Amino acid sequence: MGGALFIATAIAYAVATALFTGALTRGTAGLKRAARWVLIAAVALHGIYLGLDSLDDGTPPMGRVHETLTGLSLGVTLAFLLASARREGMAVLGAFITPVALFFFLGSGLGRSVEHVSDEVRSMLAPIHIGANVLGLVAFALAFGAAVAYVIQERQLRKKTLSGLFQRLPALDVLDRFGLRAVSVGFPLLTVGIVTGAFWAFRIHPGAPVVSTAQAFALIAWLLFAGVLLLRLAAGWRGRRAAIGTIVGFLCTAVVLVGYVFRSTGGAS
Amino acid sequence: MSELLVVGVSHHTAPLELREKLAVNGDALTELIEEVRREAFAESVVLSTCNRVELYGAADDPAAAAARARALLDGRAGRPLDDELYTHRGRDAVRHTFRVTSSLDSMVVGEPQILGQVKQAFETAQDLGTVGMVLGRCFQRALAVAKRVRSETRIAEGTVSVSSIASELALKIFGDLYGRNVVLLGAGEMGEAAAKALSSSGARLRVVNRSVEKAERIVTECGGEAVSVENLAAELVGADVVITSTSSPKYVLTWELMREVVRARRHRPLFVIDIAVPRDVDPRVGELENVYCYDVDDLQQVAEQNLALRRKEAAAAERIVEIEVAEFEAWRRSLDLTPTIVGLRSRFTEVVRGELERTLPRLGELSAAERQTLDKMAQAIVNKLLHRPLSALKKSNGEPEGAELIATARRLFELDESLRSGSEGEEPARASVALTPKKS
Repeated sequence: MGGALFIATAIAYAVATALFTGALTRGTAGLKRAARWVLIAAVALHGIYLGLDSLDDGTPPMGRVHETLTGLSLGVTLAFLLASARREGMAVLGAFITPVALFFFLGSGLGRSVEHVSDEVRSMLAPIHIGANVLGLVAFALAFGAAVAYVIQERQLRKKTLSGLFQRLPALDVLDRFGLRAVSVGFPLLTVGIVTGAFWAFRIHPGAPVVSTAQAFALIAWLLFAGVLLLRLAAGWRGRRAAIGTIVGFLCTAVVLVGYVFRSTGGAS
Repeated sequence: MSELLVVGVSHHTAPLELREKLAVNGDALTELIEEVRREAFAESVVLSTCNRVELYGAADDPAAAAARARALLDGRAGRPLDDELYTHRGRDAVRHTFRVTSSLDSMVVGEPQILGQVKQAFETAQDLGTVGMVLGRCFQRALAVAKRVRSETRIAEGTVSVSSIASELALKIFGDLYGRNVVLLGAGEMGEAAAKALSSSGARLRVVNRSVEKAERIVTECGGEAVSVENLAAELVGADVVITSTSSPKYVLTWELMREVVRARRHRPLFVIDIAVPRDVDPRVGELENVYCYDVDDLQQVAEQNLALRRKEAAAAERIVEIEVAEFEAWRRSLDLTPTIVGLRSRFTEVVRGELERTLPRLGELSAAERQTLDKMAQAIVNKLLHRPLSALKKSNGEPEGAELIATARRLFELDESLRSGSEGEEPARASVALTPKKS
């Protein structure tokens, strides 16, 4: 049952991605409406899948890496649906954000092989660490979608190829401000996630002197987002550079997650 | 007989660089109009906009006049202009004039600025006294046709004018124009229209101009604030949109100036619309971070995307133009016939009266009644002699051979020669123009 639901949810996400891409490139209003409904269906399937999985396992849905990833995927989708419901023009960002949700969801399928988190590793900090990271990543995923759209839109404006894509993507300033808000929300959450993660790791392995690859990427992502925010607020940085910084920062956080999934042993580090 | 001619380049045939080279305004425009009248055409109007530089005229020998006009533009371009240069004659020239004025030949079909530009070009030539009856009538009809096209079709509807394209692009950069600062540099008509469109969306307009009077006039019409040109750099730092439309032959917004401005702006995006020809903005400015620079040719690219939407209405407008061209041609043909009829009557009457005056002294004293009878007889002879030839001329008017018949009659009875005898050495076109007061 769980496997069928997983496949159905993944297909729904994939179809929504294709429909959003079609709506962006062709500009058909029907495609956009269809994409939204398919994504809502994907969310429903995803919710059922997550609920059944938790009931089967008897543990909270954030206890393991694959659950974290699937929660993250659902969070990104829900946040996007809420954001695009408030601003109709932002719906086309689904072409960039839905693939992220699909990526995390498929990752959660691979992550099922990861072992249970041991009781030793469980801590009061775990929900704070995982929750902050997930919410931070949801915000960064939205910022990533806006940043990709910004880079494309800015390139079209600069190259003066004002095609239908140009007409359908939101204005540069709208994308820039949306990206800034999302990064401003995501950054403190990521900070909490990293600090609690480091504290937690130190408590479990007090003698471990070496920073893992995942931790290094998490730090790089944090530094990138810190840099983007600092330059935005202090030096008035905006536009393409800020968008590229956001994209690279988000990709670093994605690498951290990939690192988790492919680790041979479970647990956070 | 004068034939209408148009020789020129437009955005259809010539790149911006060439149009920049040929474009004239102010004193240079006045000089060119007079030069065209002196060197090429009997009548002349020069239309110089950012999208076209065209010499309109009328001449008795259109082939030779067209060659002289082409040579004149070749000289200004500094090289022979082959494919870039076009020539329209007669009916085609009338059609072209009507199409241009009706905005059917514009970069953005249906844009309203061209009507004002044609009117201005016509009035300038009228003030210089280079417009005769044929060209004058053609431009008067062209302006009327343009108004008819605008009122009877929906060609002016929709957002495809240069100013609305500028607004659309500004919206794609800023999202909302409310409270944004728009700096208008120069007082060109298209720039003014673009600024007006942006300020109507809630933007704050700042008008920078060397002439305070012009700046004040624009502010009175469009709102906003007039600013001294000395504060240009500061205005650029505070601007969100800059529209340049000056007649400066050099770059006004140089790369060096804009580099400093961009530094001071702290990465805020800036949209620069350069409507001037020659360009006001160094093309390298568009390479600066967060600066988006669009010139006239860039706007054409956008316009082309919207052209399809206007094609349907343009087809209806073309039909109106064709009807008006036919009416104008009918008028012009009647113009050719009327002076010929008047000339023939005058020539015959002159001969009969001359002979009568020589004969009368030999007849002794004649009473007033007898003189009147002789006079009537002389007039009757003239009428009878001319009846068949004039009927043939009138009948052939409007037919393909009509013009040839009129030309033959004029040559046989030396109607043009008699006019020219009083102005020895003057070119034929000028002699033909001299006919007009006689006719009236």
